[in-house]
Amino acid sequence: MSDFSEELARPGSEDGQVETSVVSGTGMHFPWLWKHLDTVATRGKKKKDFAQTTGACLSLIQEALLKQRWQQAAEYMHSYLQTLEDSDSNKKQMAPEIIWKLGSEILFYHPKSSVKTFSAFADQMKNVGVLNYLKISLQHALYLIHHGMLEDAHRNLSQAETWRYGEKSSSQETLINLVQAYKGLLEYYSWSKKKMELSQCDKDDYAYSTEARNTFRHSWKTSVNFSSLIKTPGVWDPFVKSYVEMLEFHGDRDGARKVLTNYAYDKKFPSNPNAHIYLYSFLKRVRAPRAELLRALQILYQIVPSHKLMLEFHTLLRRSDREEHRKLGLGVLFGLLDFAGCTKNITAWKYLASYLRQILMQNHLGWVQEEWKSRRNWWPTFHFSYFWAKSDWKEDKDLAYEKAFVAGMLLGKGCRYFRYILKQDHQDLWKKIKRMKKSVKKYSIVKPAA
Amino acid sequence: MDFPSSLPPSLFMTGPLGSSDVPDLSFMCSWRDALTLPESPPQNCKIAAPNSATALLWEPSMPGPLPLLPPCPDPWDPGVTAQDLLFRGGFHYRRQPQVVLDVTEQLSRFLWDHGDIAFAPLGKMMLENFKLEGGRNRSKKMTVVSAKKLLQDLGGHQPWGCPWAYLSHRLRRFSIVGGPVLGKSVSHLLGRLLHEELATRWEQLLLDEAFTGGALAWLPGRTSQVGQLVYPAGGALDRLCFQEVSLPSGGDPQVLGDPGCIQLQGPVRQVVTSTVQGETLLAVRSDYHCAVWKVGKQRRPATLQVLRVEKGATGISLSPHLPGELAVCSRSGAVCLWTPQNGLQQVYKDPETLVFRDPSSWRWADFTAHPRVLTVGDRTGVKMVDTQGPPGCGLLLFRAGAEASCQKGERVLLTQYLRQSDPESLPPTLHLVCTQFSLYLVDERLPLVPMLKWNHGLPSPALLAHLLPPAHPGSPQPLFLGGLGGQVQLLHITGKEPSAPRLAGPPQSLPSSADSLSAFPLLEPKSQKQLQERLEAPTIGLASAFPPCASTPAVWLFQLSAAGDIFYQRLTLQAASSFHRDEEPPSDPGPDSPAPSVPPMDPRPTPSWTSQATACCSRWLEALLQVPPAAPVWAAPTFSHRRLLGRLEPREVEGKVLQGLRAAMAGGQLLQQRDLGLLPSAEPPPAPEPGPQDELSERLEEAWAGQGTAWCKRQQGKISISEPGKQAKRPKRRSQLSSTFSSLTSCLDLPETSSSPHSLERTTSEARLQPPVTPYSQESARQTPQDNMVELPLPKDTPTSRHVATPPSQASSVQAMPSQRSTPGSWPQRKRPRMGF
Repeated sequence: MSDFSEELARPGSEDGQVETSVVSGTGMHFPWLWKHLDTVATRGKKKKDFAQTTGACLSLIQEALLKQRWQQAAEYMHSYLQTLEDSDSNKKQMAPEIIWKLGSEILFYHPKSSVKTFSAFADQMKNVGVLNYLKISLQHALYLIHHGMLEDAHRNLSQAETWRYGEKSSSQETLINLVQAYKGLLEYYSWSKKKMELSQCDKDDYAYSTEARNTFRHSWKTSVNFSSLIKTPGVWDPFVKSYVEMLEFHGDRDGARKVLTNYAYDKKFPSNPNAHIYLYSFLKRVRAPRAELLRALQILYQIVPSHKLMLEFHTLLRRSDREEHRKLGLGVLFGLLDFAGCTKNITAWKYLASYLRQILMQNHLGWVQEEWKSRRNWWPTFHFSYFWAKSDWKEDKDLAYEKAFVAGMLLGKGCRYFRYILKQDHQDLWKKIKRMKKSVKKYSIVKPAA
Repeated sequence: MDFPSSLPPSLFMTGPLGSSDVPDLSFMCSWRDALTLPESPPQNCKIAAPNSATALLWEPSMPGPLPLLPPCPDPWDPGVTAQDLLFRGGFHYRRQPQVVLDVTEQLSRFLWDHGDIAFAPLGKMMLENFKLEGGRNRSKKMTVVSAKKLLQDLGGHQPWGCPWAYLSHRLRRFSIVGGPVLGKSVSHLLGRLLHEELATRWEQLLLDEAFTGGALAWLPGRTSQVGQLVYPAGGALDRLCFQEVSLPSGGDPQVLGDPGCIQLQGPVRQVVTSTVQGETLLAVRSDYHCAVWKVGKQRRPATLQVLRVEKGATGISLSPHLPGELAVCSRSGAVCLWTPQNGLQQVYKDPETLVFRDPSSWRWADFTAHPRVLTVGDRTGVKMVDTQGPPGCGLLLFRAGAEASCQKGERVLLTQYLRQSDPESLPPTLHLVCTQFSLYLVDERLPLVPMLKWNHGLPSPALLAHLLPPAHPGSPQPLFLGGLGGQVQLLHITGKEPSAPRLAGPPQSLPSSADSLSAFPLLEPKSQKQLQERLEAPTIGLASAFPPCASTPAVWLFQLSAAGDIFYQRLTLQAASSFHRDEEPPSDPGPDSPAPSVPPMDPRPTPSWTSQATACCSRWLEALLQVPPAAPVWAAPTFSHRRLLGRLEPREVEGKVLQGLRAAMAGGQLLQQRDLGLLPSAEPPPAPEPGPQDELSERLEEAWAGQGTAWCKRQQGKISISEPGKQAKRPKRRSQLSSTFSSLTSCLDLPETSSSPHSLERTTSEARLQPPVTPYSQESARQTPQDNMVELPLPKDTPTSRHVATPPSQASSVQAMPSQRSTPGSWPQRKRPRMGF
C-alpha cells in the first residue's frame, strides 16, 4: 500500500517499470514487487527523505480510511498536501488526482464535513493541475445531486461545459459530452417536475397552454445535451430513458425509435439487456405490430433467457398463428426455468404445466421431446428431487402442485416428485390433484411399459 | 429474474489493456459508488440521506485475530526470500531497481557447499593428470600437474573472501589451461538448471497461485452455533482435519474434542464445501489429485472418488445447483465437469489463453446461474462455456482490456461465482473477478461491462474471497477479500434485484494475524523472531461462520496460515448511531498521564486485548516455543574454522569470559552480561545528538502532531515580522487547501497537548511490532559460530585442512559463514569477486 503513488504513476511511465519480464516473461505487474525489492536493493538510488515522508503519510491516510477513522485521515491529509511540491515531476503530476481521491473520500464520510466544506475543497482542487478540471467538476456535481442540491449541481456542470484546455483531445470531448449529459439529466428532472405540476392543472386554463409551450420548448433544448453522448459506445441507461421520454412528449416518435434502435442494435455498444427492454416497452407504448414486438423480445431472449419479460414473450408466442412461434414458446419456458434464480417462479411453472398439456393434446410430442432431450439428465435432480418435493410442499403448495404436474408429464407417474405430491392429503388441492393424475396418465411423454 | 432497470452510466471501449485514452469513469472512489442517480421523480432525491452509507461497520472485538488451536507441532520455515534470490545492490545510474536473479552467488555457494557433488566426477576423470605428492613435477608427461603447489597457493583463502584477490602465476596458468574443462562443463549445466529453478522460485515468491481459492472451509452443523472447520494440518499440509467448533453468541469459540484426520498423499491446496439439497459435499485439490467426500448426517466424511490430474490441477469447484457435480481444471488447459457417478466430461480445452497470449498455465472454472454453463478463466479473462453446446465456443464474461479499463500488466488472479440461495440477496448472476489491482463484479447477463469496480490496493495477491448472506434481510452483504499476505478487506455490497450492485459504504480493512503480536508477551529476540515469522506466515485459507443471532449480527472469521495455524476473529455489526453521533469532546489527558490507547481524535474506541485473550496467546506461545526449530541446513566446514578453534584452545588467559561464552555456545543459550559477571559496566549508547534546528523537521514534527497550521501561522507571523514583503508565495495554495482539513480539526476544539498521545501510541506500537534491532543482530552473530561448531566434522575428515594456515585476523570470517539460517541482516558487506581472467 505504501507504493500507491508509484502504482498510479506506473501505467503512464514506460521507463519507470521494473523489468520483471526478464525473469518471468509474463509482462504481469506485481504491486508488491517493491516490497521485495526494498529488502534487496541496497546500492540503488535511495529515496529522498521527502519521498519517504510523503509515502509514509500516504499509507497512513489509506490505513485510516480503511479503518474508517476519518478524523485521523483528515489530520494526515493536512500534512500530505506537501506532496504538491514534489520535485519529481511525475509524482507532482499525479499528486492532485491522489489528493482529490483521498480528500473527497474523507470529506464525503467525515461526520463534521458539510456540503460547503466539500465544495470549497472541490473548487480548489479543480484548479490545481489543469487536467482534472472536468473529472472533478463532474464528481462534484454528482455529490451535489446526491445531497439534493440540483441547482448548484446544474450551475457547476454549466461551468464545466464551457471549459477548454489546449487541444481538444478525445478523452476531453467524451468528458464534456458526459458533463452535458448530466446537465441534461438535471434539466430533465426539472422538466418532469413541471410536467407533473402541469398534469394537475386545469387543461382549459389559459396558463396551461403557455406553461405547456414553455415546457415543450424546454424539452427540445435539453434533448440536445444527450444526443452527442449517446452516440459514444457505453451504458447510458438513465440518459436514454429520459431522452426518449422527452422526445415522446415532444411527439417525435421516429426520433425516439431511432435513438432506441441505435442504442439496442449498434454493434459497438455492449449487449445491454436494458437497451432491448426499453425498445420493447417503447414499441408496446406505440402499439407496434406484434411481429415487431416479437423481434425485440427474441433478441432479449437470446441475451437474457432468464428475464421476466420472457413470460410475456411466451404469451405472445402462444397466441401466434405460426407453428414455429408456438414451438418457440415452449423453448422460452424451458429456457427460463433452467436458471437458478427462476426455479421458484410459480407463473412460469403454471404456464409450462398448462402449455405442456395443450401441446401434448395437439399431438406435438416431438416438440416436447426435443426440449427435453438436453435436460433429461439434469432436470430431474435440479427440479424434481425428493428434497425439493418436500420443501416445495412445505413452502408453497401451489408451486408444488404445478411442478408435480410438469414432473408427471415429463417423467411419468413413477417420478418421485409427482408421487410425493400425490401422496399428500390436502383438502383444497384434492380436486386439482385428481385432475392432474388423470392428465398425466393420458398425456405423459413417458408411457408406462405395457 | 429482473434486470436492474437502469444501470449506472459508463463508457465502453474495446482494446488492449492500459492503452485506452478513455477517462476512467469509475475513478475508484468508494463514495462515487455510493451515489446513485435519482430515479425520474425528482422529489425522491431530497430523501437521499447524506452519509447514509457510513452506517456500515463490522467492528472486530479484538485488535487482532487470536489462535484457535494449539500451534502445529511441526516446525515451519518461511522459505526463500527475495534476498536469497536476487542480485543485491542495484546500479547507480538506474532510476528504478532492476530484478536480476543472482545465479552466480547461488552457484558459487553450491560449489563451495557441495563441492563434492560438483567436482568429484571431474576430479575422478582427471585423477591421472594430478600428482598429489612429491616435490616438483619430475614426471615426463606434460599432462600431469602437481597438486601440492596449487593447494599451497590456494591455502588460506576464504570462501566468502575474494579467492582471486592475490592469484599466483601458477593458479592463473592452471585456471587458464583447465578453464575450458573445469569451468564450462560444471557451470554451464548447473547454471542452466539453477537459473531455471531460481526463476520458478522467484515467480512463486511473487505469486504463489497454488492456494487460489483457499484451503479452509466451514461446514455448518445441525445447529447454527456448531460447525466444523476443515483444513490441512501438518508441516506438509497433507493431513486433512475436521475440527468441531461451537460458537457461543457471547464468548470465544470452543473447540469440541480432537479433530478427525485423513492422511493424504500430497499437500492440500484448496478445500471447498457446498450444501445442495441438504447434501453436503467436500472437495479437496492437491497438486496432482482431486478428491471429493460426502459429509453424512453424523458429520463423518465418506470418500466418493479421487481423481488424478496428470498435468497438475489448478482449481476445483462444487456445483451450487446439482449435488455431486464438480468442475476441475488442469494446467493442460482442460476444464472438465466431474460427477462421481458418471466420471469426467471434458467441457473445454485450449492450451492458449483466452484474450491475449500469456505464459501462465493457471486455469480456473466455476459455475454460473445456469447449471449447464461454466465459467472458464485464466490470467487474461473469463469465458462462459455451455457444456452442452459445441466445444470451444462461448461468450467472454470478463476481458482484461479496455472494456473494464484495466491497467497495463493487470491479470486475473481469482474468479468466483457469487452463489446465492436467498431471494432477498444479490441476484444469482454475479461473478467476482479479482486482479492484483482491483475487484470487479460482473453480471453474466451483461458480459464485459463490470457492474462494480473497486481498487482494493492489497499489498499481496488477492486469492481468497468469501461472500456472506446479508445480516438483516435487505441489508448489504459483506464480502471478504483476503490477500496471501494476511490482509483482509471487507466490502459491503448491496443491490437487490431491481438495482445494480454497488458498494454500500467505504470498504474496511480487518486486522491480520501480524497485528496480534502485541497480545503476546515480549520475548528474547530469537523467539520473538520465531513468533513474528509464524504470525506473518502467508494466509492460505479464509472461512467465515455466520450464526443467525438474534440481537447483534456477528460474523466469525477464520484464517489459516501456511504454518498450519488457525486464527479467528469476531466481527459485530455496529449500529449507525453508536459511532457516529456519540462523539464527545475528548477528555484532556493530564500532562503526564499515560498515553491512552485510543487516538483522542477518534470517536470510536479501539478494541483492546482482554486478559483472556492475552492468556490464550501466552498458552499458544508456550506451545509454539516447544516446537523444535526447522532442521538445520547443512553448512560446509571451512578450513579456517578449525584453525580458529584450535588457536582458541590454548589461550586460557581470558578464562572466565571465554568459558562462559563456550558454555553458552554449547548449550545454545543466550549469553547475558550477568553470566559473565565481571564485565565492565557498559557505557550507555550515545544518544542521538540534537542536530541544528531545521525548519522542515520542526514543521513535520508539528504536522505529525496535528499542529501543522498552527506552526504555519506561527512561522508566517515570524516571517511577516521580519520581512513583511517577502512572504512566501507558494504555500498559499496549500494552506488554502489544507484549511479544508484543518477546519475539520479545529471544529473539535482540541487542547494543544491532546494530539501528541496518539502519535506516541503509534510509535510504541511500532516499537513493539519490531524486535529491538541491536540485540537481535548480536544474537544472530553469536548464534552462528555455535551452530557451525556443532556441525563441524572431525578435523581428520578433511585432509586439506593441514595445508591451511589461518591468520588470526580471520576470526571475523566466523560470522561470514554461509549458514542459511542466519538472518540476512547480519551478513557483513561482501566484496564482489573480481574476475582475474
